[in-house]
Amino acid sequence: MEGASTMNIEPELRLAGPEDPILVTGAAGFIGQRVVANLLTRGFRTVRCLARRPGTRLTFVNESNPGSPAVEMIYGNLLSKEDCQRAVRQVKVIYHLAAGSGEKSFADAYLNSVVTTRNLVVACQAERCLRRFVNVSSFAVYSNRNKPAGRVLDESCPIKERPERLGDAYAYAKIKQDELVMEYSQKHGLPYVLLRPGAVYGPGKRAITGRVGIDTFGIYLHLGGFNRIPFSYVDNCADAIVLAGLKPGIEGRVFNVVDDDLPRSFEFLRMFKKKAKPFRSIYVPHFASYLLCYLWEKYADFSHGQLPPVFNRGRWHAEWKGSDYSNRKLKDELGWSQKVSTHEGMKLYLADCRLEGIHA
Amino acid sequence: MLKIAIVGCGKIADAHVLQIQRIAGCQVVGVCDREELMARQLQERFGIPRSFSDLTALLRESRPDVIHVTTPPQSHYEIARQCLEAGCHVYVEKPFTLFATEAEELVALANEKGLRLTAGHDEQFSPAMQRMRQLVKSGYLGGTPVHMESTWCYELGEGAYANALLGDKNHWVRKLPGRLLHNVLSHGIAKIAEYLAGEQPEVRVVGFPSQFLTQRGEKELLDEIRVIITDQNHTTAYFTFSTQMRPGLHQFRIFSTKNGLFLDEEQQTVLQLRGNRYKSFAEKFVPHLTLAGQHVRNLLRNGRLFLANDFHMDAGKKHLIEALYRSIIDDAPVPIPYREILLTARIMDAIFQQLDSGSPPVTTPANSPVAATRI
Repeated sequence: MEGASTMNIEPELRLAGPEDPILVTGAAGFIGQRVVANLLTRGFRTVRCLARRPGTRLTFVNESNPGSPAVEMIYGNLLSKEDCQRAVRQVKVIYHLAAGSGEKSFADAYLNSVVTTRNLVVACQAERCLRRFVNVSSFAVYSNRNKPAGRVLDESCPIKERPERLGDAYAYAKIKQDELVMEYSQKHGLPYVLLRPGAVYGPGKRAITGRVGIDTFGIYLHLGGFNRIPFSYVDNCADAIVLAGLKPGIEGRVFNVVDDDLPRSFEFLRMFKKKAKPFRSIYVPHFASYLLCYLWEKYADFSHGQLPPVFNRGRWHAEWKGSDYSNRKLKDELGWSQKVSTHEGMKLYLADCRLEGIHA
Repeated sequence: MLKIAIVGCGKIADAHVLQIQRIAGCQVVGVCDREELMARQLQERFGIPRSFSDLTALLRESRPDVIHVTTPPQSHYEIARQCLEAGCHVYVEKPFTLFATEAEELVALANEKGLRLTAGHDEQFSPAMQRMRQLVKSGYLGGTPVHMESTWCYELGEGAYANALLGDKNHWVRKLPGRLLHNVLSHGIAKIAEYLAGEQPEVRVVGFPSQFLTQRGEKELLDEIRVIITDQNHTTAYFTFSTQMRPGLHQFRIFSTKNGLFLDEEQQTVLQLRGNRYKSFAEKFVPHLTLAGQHVRNLLRNGRLFLANDFHMDAGKKHLIEALYRSIIDDAPVPIPYREILLTARIMDAIFQQLDSGSPPVTTPANSPVAATRI
């Protein structure tokens, strides 16, 4: 595994010991597999991996830890209360990564993020041995609408208001999922930590984040310009997630996960075209992308959704206006440090993308 | 003001509420889902006054005039029956019921109670389909249909739906009598049913799983079927359902003794297919020009509808809902004749029965079960 993690926390200060069962939901996903591998590297001997599809194999985990007896695969659906009870049995830490990502429908995103999370935390209540619930959220929940461009977007930023009006089902579901976790903490003492990763990248995830641009209209529109992109290399992100489950005394805290030395959008695009796959793009200046979003939003309202409000000012502020990002809290309070440099991470990512170009 | 309620707050419920909110003279007064959180999210997003997790409470407290049933199909019959018994008019999403016998019971109950009932065959009310229907009514075909072809595709790829369905052996779609097919055939079959005569067409089916499914080790689902339907007048119809052919078509063709018509639901295009040929070489040149003219007229018509803000993706749903509400208010006939709803259900029953009674699914059409059923 690139940049294998070392023990950032002294074993005697960890919330869970090597024999304690740990649950990772969404274990077969892009980040989930790295979280599992990270836990194995740290010496955990019972890592329970929940995957939905029977027979799912954790390819990356198998490659980095071949034949590890510490991985306990269980197959189930978080919409099933019985499967949730089976999954949480005796676990001390839950890394909850399963979510309805990529859903365009609000109902489906909600079902696969909020209802599933509710089932999981209810099952935890019955089990009564949980020490930490790590809820993996997203940068998509933040609003920087009232901040000037270039200001720091950190954990103190407000959450989007009325996200259902912004046409972003994923952000809506993630906001509601976070609210549900906090509600269960207040009412039932759920010991949670919230992690909000930025744009997680790395080998295995080849799509370019929408913060750089979009190809909705048949040609790639570069919208990011000089904005910094809140990248988080997948191993660095997994390391932060794992730490959040082990470090004592941080219940109820929120951490944004981004790397150091973040590239600007145009720098990233130039690197991508040069080292991974050349393609044509058109640069759209900020005033033009704002105008497009403004007009689209107004028309969506006027026409009662004849065009869905996929482009709107809320999205422009969040993705294309441009912010700076900080991982100060992550370093100071969680003790996280970047193991894979952005330079090295980009190299691995672009090499993987180039491979796809060759095979395409 | 008609009071509307939604039962079942999944993905399709959004489309219903969005279209209902575009119709004057009605209001969604309550939503209901067995999963309380799902009911609450729909209520919250659309500013609906009440949400319930119990149908009886919704009926008692919100007292709706019309109920839209948007739950998984397994519960359609029971919920629709309960709503009709409570004196509500009912819109049931497709597939109408699991079996034709249940459909017959619901229709009988609606008739007995003097209530309106419709099935969610909303593509029967798309702008293009309505145009085609007008042309048929105007006599353009020149007689009863000789032959029809309905091609209905559902692109089953690496999307969220396919992953959920293939990854979950307990997925509700797997528990339908026709499994995956049950949830997606009715639009294409309803188009044929509208123009069939009699109550007992003969149905012959070939079905098999696509390579996409077999490569994923899928042993339960079929996703490719070819059907031949023949009615009492010897009007025939081919029905094709595919998850793998590209482009994924949603097309319908109808031919009679004089002319034919072509409908493309995706492009919202209707073409008039002239029965007579032009003389000599004119046939090699003139039809291209007349077809080009028709395409331009389709383009302009679609553009006009778009500019008038009446070209939503779910335009057919709005027109069907509107027609149902009008039939309630004006005491007019139901938008989809019950005969068509029942015929669609019977044809689907026959397809699934044949697929079930055949030998286990095989991978090539040449060895696949072929049978005929008179329904």
